[in-house]
Amino acid sequence: MHSDAGARPAAVTVAAAGAALLLLALPLIIRDIYWLDLGITVLVWASVATAWNISAGFAGGLSLGHSAFFGVGAYTASLLFLRLGLTPWLGMLAGSLLAGLLGALLGLITFRLRGPFFVLATLAFGIMVHIIAVNWRGLTRGAAGLLLPFDGGASNMLFAEFSTYWYVGLGLLGLTVGVSLAIERSRLGYYLVALREDEDAARSLGVRVVRSKVIAAALSAALTALAGSFYACFVQYIDPASTTQFELSVQIALIAIVGGMGTTFGPAIGALILIPLGEILRARLGGGPSLVLYGLLLMVIVLAAPNGAIAGLRSIGRRLGWRRRRPHA
Amino acid sequence: MQLALQILANGLLLGGLYALLAVGLTLIFGVLRVVNFAHAEFMMLGMFGAYWLWELFGFDPYFSIFIVVPAVSLLGAVVDRLVIQRTIGAPEVTVVFATLGLSILLQNAVLSAWTADIRSINTAYSSSVLVLGGVRLSVAMLISFGAALLFALGLWLFLTHTLYGKAIQAVAQNRAAASLMGINVRRVYLFTFSVAVASAAAMGVLIAPLFSIFPRVGQSYIVTIFIIVVLGGLGSVPGAVLAALLIGVVQAGAGFLIGAAWAELTYFVIFLAVLIARPQGLLGRRGAEVYGG
Repeated sequence: MHSDAGARPAAVTVAAAGAALLLLALPLIIRDIYWLDLGITVLVWASVATAWNISAGFAGGLSLGHSAFFGVGAYTASLLFLRLGLTPWLGMLAGSLLAGLLGALLGLITFRLRGPFFVLATLAFGIMVHIIAVNWRGLTRGAAGLLLPFDGGASNMLFAEFSTYWYVGLGLLGLTVGVSLAIERSRLGYYLVALREDEDAARSLGVRVVRSKVIAAALSAALTALAGSFYACFVQYIDPASTTQFELSVQIALIAIVGGMGTTFGPAIGALILIPLGEILRARLGGGPSLVLYGLLLMVIVLAAPNGAIAGLRSIGRRLGWRRRRPHA
Repeated sequence: MQLALQILANGLLLGGLYALLAVGLTLIFGVLRVVNFAHAEFMMLGMFGAYWLWELFGFDPYFSIFIVVPAVSLLGAVVDRLVIQRTIGAPEVTVVFATLGLSILLQNAVLSAWTADIRSINTAYSSSVLVLGGVRLSVAMLISFGAALLFALGLWLFLTHTLYGKAIQAVAQNRAAASLMGINVRRVYLFTFSVAVASAAAMGVLIAPLFSIFPRVGQSYIVTIFIIVVLGGLGSVPGAVLAALLIGVVQAGAGFLIGAAWAELTYFVIFLAVLIARPQGLLGRRGAEVYGG
């Protein structure tokens, strides 16, 4: 057992280094704009799902309102750029600060709620932001959306090359996963998991319930907004349907669940599986039938494999490790 | 004054429609402890059922209700066996996303089969109105309002005055103890889910002559209905009716004053305020919000 436990981290390190190298070299390997575009989309949703997981997976606050934070990030960066000429590099910080404050406020309002009440409160919050995005036409131009002019250049996070977006997106995902990893290994991470598993027991052991939950909610919202700002600069057009809609909140959660809720790397794996799969299904089957499959998939996964792909990968990894050890024995 | 009365009447009639959906949803939550995001899809199926029976055979919706409601409740029983019962006792995430998945599945199955076209039924009484003291009331709305209140009253009497109703209440209070008393819990779940889903289908048929029929019609209702159910107290039938009428009036009043879109925002604000100040809802049991999941 001991040699196995010692050998596995080495293998994991090699695999991680290989994956990192592959990610960095990808724009050199893939020249096709279509696939690179899909890859950047995967990075965006991997970041958002990882951010969602900080409050939902670690702390157990199942949010169905994260599209609100994504939209706040997208709209804040875009509006500051269009109205005041502020570079999105700073605009995304402003958006993420605003989303972080909103996340903390929502956390303060909802920390007491459990189960369906928490879910419904976050859902209501998400829809409120959507209603504002659609109807405050003076600010957001409503359903017509906002177009970011291309004359910005690199100092305004608007690049001519897709590969540049890829590296910025990779940095975003790296930051989000890094924060998530730091939380998982910190005292806060243990507090959050304790709260998720048994709030009353955790409270009685001195876990600071409100503080832990609010910090997790704020960080999760702020990181989601960063991804929203990046998305706006990448697509260069945003509207409520693509940034604040309820369906996006469901998609964010689904990605994390498919990959593995409550784990740092699960949500990114979920995006790697679901975004290309969704793209292929839409192209092959058309909107309606592909969504029938999507609904079916959602039901089957939460009923049959609620621990997600990462649990499957881990069990495969364990089995391989065990087999490799046998000749030595 | 006349205008105020008209707005009040419109609001109450709208609230009556909401009540029929909300009572079913709150019943499913109270007994099965399942938050059913797919509830309004059964209303959508009821609307389409009424539409096709009218389009293909010329059946009046008030006649087709006797065909559509049993058919949808049968579908509800199948869904209960295949999906809902598997989520009982599972973590919150399973319950929420299984019913969300069901909702997406039903919506898009209908979309794939019959396209996203907006359809309507134009019966002789679709636009007939009753004038009462200067207030104009849609006859079809009055009928669905009456049906909603009758259903809620009937359900409440059934739950409080019959043996099986009391068995259902026992399951709602304590699943394990009810099972030990010889109540077949699985059958209670099946019965409750089918009845609740049938009431949603009934509402769909009743409003089919009044509103546009399209695959995503349920979506515009489900969030409002959830707000109503939480306002009334999750699991409380009288609370759901009261909150439905209240939200109907708020929606009609605020809609007149500040427009429909911003009116929606008002009741979201009310909803969040209630969650903060009185999370057990208007008529819910205290503490239900804590142990409700």
